Amino acid sequence: MKRRSFLTQVPAFALGVSALGGPLAALAQGTRPLRMRLNADIRSTDPGVNRDANTDFIMSHVVEGLVGYRDDASVGPMLAESWEISEDGRTYTFTLREGVTFHNGAPLTSAEVVWCWSRYMDPETGWRGARDYNGERGLTVTAEAGDARTVIFTLDTPNALFLTNLARTDCGQTGIYHPDSLAADGSWSEPVGTGPFMLSQWERGQYLELTRFDDYAALDTPRTGLVGDKTPLVETVRYLIIPEDSSARAALLSGDIDIMPDVATADYAGFQSNPEITTDNVPGFGVGGFLLQTTDPVIGDLRMRQALKLALDAPQIVDILTEGLAEANQSVVPPGSPYFSEIMATPFQRDVARARDLAAEAGYDGTPIVLLATQHYPQLFDMAVMAQAMLAEAGITVEVEVLDWATLLDRYSSGNYQAMAFTFSARLDPALSYDMISGDKAEQPRKVWDNPKAREVLKRSMIESDPAQRQQLFDQLEEMFQADVPMIPLYSGNRISASRAAAEGYASWSVGSPRAWGVSLDEA
Amino acid sequence: MKGRLNFLIGAALLLVILVMALTATVWTPFDPLALDLRARFLPPGGAHLLGTDEFGRDVLSRLMSGATQSLTVAAFTVGFATLFGTLLGLFSGYVGGTLDRILMVISDAVLAFPGTLLALALLVVMGPNVYGIVLALGIAYTPSMLRIVRGTVMSLREREFIEASHVIGNSEWATMLRHVLPNCIAPITVLATSMFGWVILAESGLSFLGLGVPPPQPTWGNMLSTARDHIDRAVWLGIFPGLCISATLLGVILLGDGLRDRFDPRTENT
Amino acid sequence: MKSLIAYIFRRLLWTLPTLLLVAIMVFFLVRLVPGDPAQLILGDQASVEDLAALRARLGLDHSIPAQFLTWLGDVLQGDLGYSITNGQPVAQLLLDRFQVSAVIVLTAVTLAILIAVPLGMLAAWKQNRATDLTVVVLATLLMSVPSFWLGLMFLLTFGLTLGWLPVVGFVPFSTDFGAALAYVVMPVATLTLVEMGVLTRMMRASAIEVLRLEYVTHARAKGLSERRVLLRHVLPNAFAPTWTMIGLVLGGLLGGIAVLETVFTIPGLGRLMVESIFQRDYPVIQGCLLFTAVIYVIVNLIVDLCYPLFDPRVTAR
Repeated sequence: MKRRSFLTQVPAFALGVSALGGPLAALAQGTRPLRMRLNADIRSTDPGVNRDANTDFIMSHVVEGLVGYRDDASVGPMLAESWEISEDGRTYTFTLREGVTFHNGAPLTSAEVVWCWSRYMDPETGWRGARDYNGERGLTVTAEAGDARTVIFTLDTPNALFLTNLARTDCGQTGIYHPDSLAADGSWSEPVGTGPFMLSQWERGQYLELTRFDDYAALDTPRTGLVGDKTPLVETVRYLIIPEDSSARAALLSGDIDIMPDVATADYAGFQSNPEITTDNVPGFGVGGFLLQTTDPVIGDLRMRQALKLALDAPQIVDILTEGLAEANQSVVPPGSPYFSEIMATPFQRDVARARDLAAEAGYDGTPIVLLATQHYPQLFDMAVMAQAMLAEAGITVEVEVLDWATLLDRYSSGNYQAMAFTFSARLDPALSYDMISGDKAEQPRKVWDNPKAREVLKRSMIESDPAQRQQLFDQLEEMFQADVPMIPLYSGNRISASRAAAEGYASWSVGSPRAWGVSLDEA
Repeated sequence: MKGRLNFLIGAALLLVILVMALTATVWTPFDPLALDLRARFLPPGGAHLLGTDEFGRDVLSRLMSGATQSLTVAAFTVGFATLFGTLLGLFSGYVGGTLDRILMVISDAVLAFPGTLLALALLVVMGPNVYGIVLALGIAYTPSMLRIVRGTVMSLREREFIEASHVIGNSEWATMLRHVLPNCIAPITVLATSMFGWVILAESGLSFLGLGVPPPQPTWGNMLSTARDHIDRAVWLGIFPGLCISATLLGVILLGDGLRDRFDPRTENT
Repeated sequence: MKSLIAYIFRRLLWTLPTLLLVAIMVFFLVRLVPGDPAQLILGDQASVEDLAALRARLGLDHSIPAQFLTWLGDVLQGDLGYSITNGQPVAQLLLDRFQVSAVIVLTAVTLAILIAVPLGMLAAWKQNRATDLTVVVLATLLMSVPSFWLGLMFLLTFGLTLGWLPVVGFVPFSTDFGAALAYVVMPVATLTLVEMGVLTRMMRASAIEVLRLEYVTHARAKGLSERRVLLRHVLPNAFAPTWTMIGLVLGGLLGGIAVLETVFTIPGLGRLMVESIFQRDYPVIQGCLLFTAVIYVIVNLIVDLCYPLFDPRVTAR
């Protein structure tokens, strides 16, 4: 670690400003912060309200929910010690952990939980999950306090996904914070949570600084996902906002950051061969692939869609996209899911001759198919370029149209496209995976798979709680999905992180988050 | 024969680039768009003279085909800006009055818009394609041309030979075409040649921000922009398109200097 | 003096229609662009109802002309609104980011002038000789390297290979001068080199023009030393067009610096603008563009007012 301190000092000497003490003074203070890369600023500190993925995961350091996701996307206890579900599946009784305190020193009681729930359910708050519990989507949930450590949630109909939904990261893990988080006028001020860190500084567009919460009550179960032992091992964490990948890569190599949680696959090999850097690669839970518009005059023909799928050498595309780190997967269910079954694992079959025949049968006349892509996510662009070349071999002409991400998203939600390279964020239950694509196009044009029979099956899978029964339903859905080809999923992605030797204990997570707890800084 | 050396070097450089671009329309060593996923990142030398890129595409073929694209975009953009800038500038300077005022307000508004950002916004509207880029950059550069021409025209308006032309009974049009326009050629040439370089650079900047001429169609700009992701394992991907841009710019600038010396009436006095 | 004030006043008055036009262009151009901020905030999981609710909250459900009038009314009262993305007041964001960009741009342009002017003069004086060609080639090379490429090369060389300078991050000058300096060295150097190319060429071209003028010949004929001819007679006259160019460069740079700010991770105005365009953060885009337009107008006014300092002919009038 001599090298690192040498590097910090050189600019000071080189510029003749050492007397001003800048970098040196910072160094002399002893403990330096753990520095991690964040590719874009967060949106707010109000969990599940004004948020994006970065917001969710930064806030998971500060605010915790009753339950949360484990590494494998199952649901585990966090602030709740345990819970009981009534026979009829309509009452969930949570027992809160003892000894948990908020950052302001107040103990966690059922009162705060009920208070938070009422804030979440208030339409004024604009909480993302509200519609899932206020009856608009067929489920109404109310919360009441039992004794100081008991909270009872009552559902009007049984729902297999209740706990999964409570743990949802995009809803801020339904985090519990103290009423002091609000300003006097009832507006959001700053999060007073129970998490291992407190947000101490937010220089917009530059960095976020988290400070260790010394009275953090850690769980004694192993660290996993957003639950388990979340003990903070460093005094401060600084998330530096670095949008450009090549700059972030240089920053990690030069020691200006300690951890890069989101390494591009192209950089993996380089980092792996570097003795100063440790990498961690895990399979992802998202889906990347091609959406096919089933209402399109050309692509609307099933034979045409089958032709497209047969003409692609999917394993080859995935091999290039992920530098051989991930396998091709033609299901929307990620291989990491406990429900990933044999039928979902059906391998891709390339058959260019058959593709050619099918296209001819469908009456394809060589008119170019417009495939939308974006450079915002380089892998979407790359997969489009490769598909273009492969489809040409089957006599199918493709024109790649590159749009910026906002425009692509707009076209996605209006359904206004022929084919599109797209990526879905992580869905942590197969029912949610199928739900993201399945729906009535007349009501929700963004849905790619409009099959009423499949919607029936999907609905049942959301109510059913027996795993064996659910597996059967999911297999049924997968079969229908593969027959309809409304989309060609290619792979579920992977998450790679790279840490410098000084930072120890960082782990990538399939769902993807720069988790700073459990990471130590060895400055020997 | 001042400026002869610069002129010759410039012309030679541009000739090479032009031959490259023209050849590419009929022949390239490999198909510039053909993927060869088994031959990715081949260093220069061997069958692929300048190596291959991240999809195993031949860099030389892409450079040649990129020359066609880049030069076309630049030529059309400069053509657009020169045509409209000159026309509007002539009118603005010659007619003056309210028309001039209005045109100046508009051109000020366009100039006050950061050029890249105007292009960025227009590109999102038009879709990032060659026409979008030409139109966007063309609009962004027209006011500069307008101003230069207008300035020249205004300084000419009061000169004797313009008066003389009127006296002989030449129409306004004839005067404008025969006497005013020829005198604007020198400044127009200089600006147009500089613009040529700006366009090629602006296109690469837009590519960097993800809004250039959409790949897979190669341009030097987007080749250079994607090369940054592979800088530590395939540095040639950045060097060759960079050299092409530099050579073109150098050629255009030297040629422009030479042309100015030729056209500038004052040069003949010395 | 009185006429000067009247001149400034007239100039400022004439900028009003320009600014109004900019405001209209910005507003409608931004709304023409497909993409929906609500969709971007809610992401791929957004339902139709969620989107409608958020649009209503952001005031995007009114007609575009109505939105324009509301916005224009607010702007006239000095209220630029709040960022859709993170709720910050736009005016505050602009000022914070502008300071950062301004420091970098002003330093770089000053340095570029200091290098470009003598270099351009030298080249013009030695026109068509080896020195001239070297300068022209050098300036052209600098002009022909995209700034992001030059920036990345700096980053890799000085930040990574040599390890002299920090690669990412930014510290405001007010917090820690020394550290701040270390962070801005590379972006400033990159920008200086890029701008140097343009200005050198401009300076060389106008100096050549001036050298051809009769009064230079007269001055030489009078037996004035070459040094005196160059400094007293050529330099002031040749600098005038370069000065105009500087105005254009300064005005344009605030937006154009976006690429460099992205490479060097500097929270400046350019990056704010590009990011807000990608996020369809309407109030921020509008604020940014209007702000840069105002800066552009002011810079060019200052440039024009300074003209007499360099161009003796203007003073004479």
